[in-house]
Amino acid sequence: MDQVAVTAFFQTLVQGLLTGGLYALIGTGLSLIFGVMKIINFAHGDFLAIGMFITLALFKAFNLDPYLSLLVAAPIGFSLGYVIQRFVLARLGDRLGEGSLLATLGLGLIISNTLLLGFGAQPQSINVPYAINTFKFAGVQVSVSLLIAGLGTVLAISALNLVLYRTELGRAIRATAQNPLGAELQGVKTSNIQAIVFGVGVSFAAIAGVLLMPLLYTFPTVGENYVTKAFIVTVLGGLGNLPGAIAGGLVLGVIESLGAFYVSNNYRDAYGLIAFLLVLLLRPEGLFGKTVKRV
Amino acid sequence: MTTLTPVTSRPRALTFGNVWLSVALVAILFIYPFLFGKTLNFGISTLLFAGFAMSWNILGGWAGQTSLGHAALLGIGAYAMTLLATPERLPPFLTSPLAPWWGALVGMVIAVAVAAVWGWLTFRLQGSYFALSSIAVALVIRLVAINAEWTGGAEGLFMPELPKLFGFDLFDRKVEYWLAFGFVVLTLVITHLIRRSRMGYALQAVREDEDGARALGIDPARMKLLAFMLSAALMALGGSLYALYLQAFEPHTILELPLSIQIALLAIIGGRTTIQGPLIGALVLSIFGEVFRNVFSNANLLIYGILILMVTLFAPNGIMGLFQKAGSKLGTAR
Repeated sequence: MDQVAVTAFFQTLVQGLLTGGLYALIGTGLSLIFGVMKIINFAHGDFLAIGMFITLALFKAFNLDPYLSLLVAAPIGFSLGYVIQRFVLARLGDRLGEGSLLATLGLGLIISNTLLLGFGAQPQSINVPYAINTFKFAGVQVSVSLLIAGLGTVLAISALNLVLYRTELGRAIRATAQNPLGAELQGVKTSNIQAIVFGVGVSFAAIAGVLLMPLLYTFPTVGENYVTKAFIVTVLGGLGNLPGAIAGGLVLGVIESLGAFYVSNNYRDAYGLIAFLLVLLLRPEGLFGKTVKRV
Repeated sequence: MTTLTPVTSRPRALTFGNVWLSVALVAILFIYPFLFGKTLNFGISTLLFAGFAMSWNILGGWAGQTSLGHAALLGIGAYAMTLLATPERLPPFLTSPLAPWWGALVGMVIAVAVAAVWGWLTFRLQGSYFALSSIAVALVIRLVAINAEWTGGAEGLFMPELPKLFGFDLFDRKVEYWLAFGFVVLTLVITHLIRRSRMGYALQAVREDEDGARALGIDPARMKLLAFMLSAALMALGGSLYALYLQAFEPHTILELPLSIQIALLAIIGGRTTIQGPLIGALVLSIFGEVFRNVFSNANLLIYGILILMVTLFAPNGIMGLFQKAGSKLGTAR
């Protein structure tokens, strides 16, 4: 391979890894929720849209730096998730499996259509000078805002890991995920824990939305594009497997970038979908999970 | 042990009431164009969506497999008919008055084949996994339609001029109404027939308790596959009629995820374990949608979101479930 081809390969790889980091952030929230509650949140993409629109609205109203919106979007996402788990999903009782699918679909439609009423259907973006800045590292161009997004992802996921494995709350969350009844008997308020987990999952989606906003146009149904990415990430990594979600995100980003560069850009979204279907069919426990013994 | 829902254990008398409810609904739809001739567009789209919801329900209700990718099958029907209605693509002996219907037939065959492969691959997945995979399959089909040349790409297709069907102009809204009406009657009759057939009982057994059904000698995967193929054939037929009605369409309107979700929600809000539920759901939501379109313009799916949330929380068997509850209370009072 000549020098140009090598640089092009690394350029594509870096692009893929950085995008993949964002996918990982979106997927982590979904995977966390699945891991603890065993439900799939179909409104996840719409929570991401909320993060984007909070950033957009604050920028338009106060010219607020998009990354400062994190301070608003994360708590709003958390409270929203907490309330939804407490007052909607918790009421489904033993119909949680199918019920949560429909309830979160409904919530997603309510969110996207409310955004449509409030902001209109036109794609909108924000203009910050550093969003388009790039720098060169060993011949590879890196976009500044994509790098910030990647760093944000690493920080958010590390913080989550610290909480999960170093705090009393984390112990309670892990206990609830493993055996809700047993945890309840040990004095863990599982209903509260589940609401906290749903809140954290939603706030992760909102944070991803904030980090994406300087890079992309937003519109009320933008979540549709990302909810499928989140599903792909979680399935690639194994549902409920958090390190898997990170790896799944990176894999998805790289598959998309390489496929778009070396095969055809038109089918960019198809590579991930096909990988998703293959993993779902051949290895439902995910690429990186322990092989589940099949009956 | 198998838990029987009210549907499977309903007394015979009420099942007859069931048939009468269908007859009454069909009668209402029959007289509609004589009363509201000016709003035929509304009537046609309502009927088509009622037919889509009932086709979806053969898989989604009777077999209990929540598909969120049915728009792909609808799209196959629409594309097949439109592509094969263009005279240049057909041998001359086929450009008879029946010309566009060869296309519809081809669409049904392709849809059945796609459903067979799709179902064979994904019916090993349980519950939400199947719903997830159905989104992925439908999105792949949509990407092909957007990027291929023969599908007209992102711009989509125009329905060409069509030969008259026994003297009837297929672009006449009245003719289209009766075609859509026929489609609804067909899906309704087929659902009634399935309900009382061996297959119908087997499907309900699979839906309620897959392991139990297997113990009775039913092959759940085969049953689900049959239901999916039937559902796909009807969906593609409906798609062909939808293409006639739209006259021009693009992948973004006919293959998109929200359309799949909308079809599924019509059936679920109406009541997926009943025969007429999807029909009722489509009628109720069309009227709601029409009213709210003026208030909320393009945010009219808001009402779907609110209703599906209410139904999930308070009426898990849909609008028909509420009727049945009221009916059985009356029954015990007597």
